[in-house]
Amino acid sequence: MKLGGKLLKWVGAVVALLILAAVIGLSVMAGGIRGAYGMVRYALPHMHRGTLRVGDNAPDASLLALDGSSRFHIRERTGARPLVIVFGSYT
Amino acid sequence: MKIYKDYKDHADFLTVYVREAHPTDEWQMKSNVKEDVCYAQPKTLEQRVAIANDFVKRFNYPTQFGIDDMSNAANDAYAAWPERIYIIDERGRIAYRGGMGPFNYHPEEARAWLAARYGEVKHEASTPAPDKKNN
Repeated sequence: MKLGGKLLKWVGAVVALLILAAVIGLSVMAGGIRGAYGMVRYALPHMHRGTLRVGDNAPDASLLALDGSSRFHIRERTGARPLVIVFGSYT
Repeated sequence: MKIYKDYKDHADFLTVYVREAHPTDEWQMKSNVKEDVCYAQPKTLEQRVAIANDFVKRFNYPTQFGIDDMSNAANDAYAAWPERIYIIDERGRIAYRGGMGPFNYHPEEARAWLAARYGEVKHEASTPAPDKKNN
């Protein structure tokens, strides 16, 4: 029992240290505790490496034009020349 | 957008607006407040269209522009959020796959791909400011 209790304490200490290291690491990356929270709460769930590889057929998707009414497909813009696609947002 | 200016005669460019990365109601950045780029996460396609138009107007953004649906179909297909660059070749295949932004977002890699194909576009280094001590 004594040995089990000691082991449990060590495991707890290691887990606490790992959590602390993760919080510090994320805070450094995100510029503070608030940033770390934002990253975990809002960014990580939406970040995916994806499965596309060089040589794969490029997926198609329908996009809305800036006029808010006409649409086009990514595939319509490929074929004649290479297409550089830049994904992003304003903020 | 230097890369566009340098290679627009060889390649097409398409910018795709996806869900906001740092809206006011999620993880807002101080830099966005400073630059007056404050938007809540769009809940409708009309809101996305409005923000995309603000962006294009503010920067006089020159490339073709598309807006992802609220289903985030383009984003999901390309694992694009928050920012990412791909190059699709003439056969419709992925020729370059950039890393996930912001930490692995490297437009210079896309530039290198274009430079390898069409030649490097060199820019003259800007003239250094005169040394005040010598004036």
